[in-house]
Amino acid sequence: MWTNRATTMVAIVTTAFTLACVGVFLLLYVNLLAAAGWLQDDVKIMVYLDERLVSDSVAEIEQQLRSDQAVASLLFISKEQALGEFKAQFPSESHLLEGLGQNPLPASFVVALSPPFHSPDAIYRWAERVRQVAGVSKVDYNQDWIDALAKVIHSIELVAIGIGVILSAAAVTIIANTIRLTLFARRDEIAILRLIGATTSFIHIPYLLEGAALGALGSALSLVMLKFMYELFRQQMRATGRFAGLDNLIAFLSPSVCLALIALGMGLGFAGSLVSIRRFGEAKA
Amino acid sequence: MALLEQVPKMIQLIHVSKRYDQRSALSDVSFEIGKGEFVLLMGPSGAGKSTLLRMLIGAEQPDEGQIFVHQKNVTMLRRSEIPYLRRKVGTVFQDFRLLPKKSVFDNVSLPLLVQGISSADIRRKVTEALRAVGVDHKRDQLPAGLSTGEQQRVCIARAIVNGPVVLLADEPTGNLDPALTSEIIELFKLINARGTTVVVATHDPLVMEQVNRRVLTLSQGTLLPERRVMG
Repeated sequence: MWTNRATTMVAIVTTAFTLACVGVFLLLYVNLLAAAGWLQDDVKIMVYLDERLVSDSVAEIEQQLRSDQAVASLLFISKEQALGEFKAQFPSESHLLEGLGQNPLPASFVVALSPPFHSPDAIYRWAERVRQVAGVSKVDYNQDWIDALAKVIHSIELVAIGIGVILSAAAVTIIANTIRLTLFARRDEIAILRLIGATTSFIHIPYLLEGAALGALGSALSLVMLKFMYELFRQQMRATGRFAGLDNLIAFLSPSVCLALIALGMGLGFAGSLVSIRRFGEAKA
Repeated sequence: MALLEQVPKMIQLIHVSKRYDQRSALSDVSFEIGKGEFVLLMGPSGAGKSTLLRMLIGAEQPDEGQIFVHQKNVTMLRRSEIPYLRRKVGTVFQDFRLLPKKSVFDNVSLPLLVQGISSADIRRKVTEALRAVGVDHKRDQLPAGLSTGEQQRVCIARAIVNGPVVLLADEPTGNLDPALTSEIIELFKLINARGTTVVVATHDPLVMEQVNRRVLTLSQGTLLPERRVMG
């Protein structure tokens, strides 16, 4: 690496820019996914109870729901509370209910499901199961909203994977070309090593390690660039006063994701070297 | 020939032929070289000498025939086995093939380095080899700072540093004047006297004059009747 300093530096910086693009999309992906997760956490399922249900049976249903591993939180709303909420939300329409003489609104449980049960299928299966419980008259939730949200998350994942694959291929190509230049510059040395009895692994391992080191350094540099851009972006948001509070919600990549990105860079560098060595080996065979 | 039958064979070619496109480089070549022999491989440029030497180290494969070196069938070796053959066969080149950015010591230590020999052993063996060829005092210099004869000596030191059973030299005096040619030939004789089989490919009549040994002559890829030169 030290022998071809200029080529090595160009390769590290180019790889860093490529992987920084991967990082930008990863950052967007992580934050969009987190935002989608918050929206999913916000999905509430209404479990309406039978009008004639006695308080013991209500307690029994509550116990059954609380012991359900899919249920993250549970809130009981009595008939009176439901009426009070209706009046608070629609004060101009409250006379409609007064004309009926008795409270027509049923008691209900507002249920939030835990994250593993956030998919449209899981919510549907859970609602169908709860509908069968004696004393439950209706289970209601916004199916269209949940389906749309799931589609958005799926699209984000597909776009992130597509961009990740394209940019990773670019990083492999950049490193492969750098290693190819190094191999070409040292072709005489390699030929001599072969003639004096060096094994293929003795010749190849340094280049594979060099590729891995290039990838890891490029990746680390990309994270530094990304962190700088991230802090600059947050500072700009605070300074302009627009999207106030949003800057605290945007998260940087977690340490484990940063390590994974460095490992990815290392892997891509190794793969780039392998591609070059194979081609070089075939040319010399 | 009766003497040859008593010594173990170090190199054996059996009906070896090689073609490049339509041109025949070697045609039905067969011979044997015994352990400890000094053989000259003579012939003009393009006679097939270099091709033959390259075949002995597995750098080329014949189209027909079989080649044995140190009882190994080179034509049957897997690619991964060839480095181990080359560790038993030292090679000296006309253009020396030294690494320009490495010192004399580092150049000579390369064959030991690729075998994973310890640094202490490398120091000892390289010093011995450099002393044997008379360039120990130049150990820290780069090849560019050496004369042509010294560069060839360094190349010979690199070829003998790991104690090969065979030493192959391809036109080793091609770039040297008559005085240096005599010095290098004397060096080969010394190496041979220690028991190493030496094969020198050359078209230089001066080399033939100085070596009272067996001569194999190639002409347009064909082996001519064998002769022995009396010096």
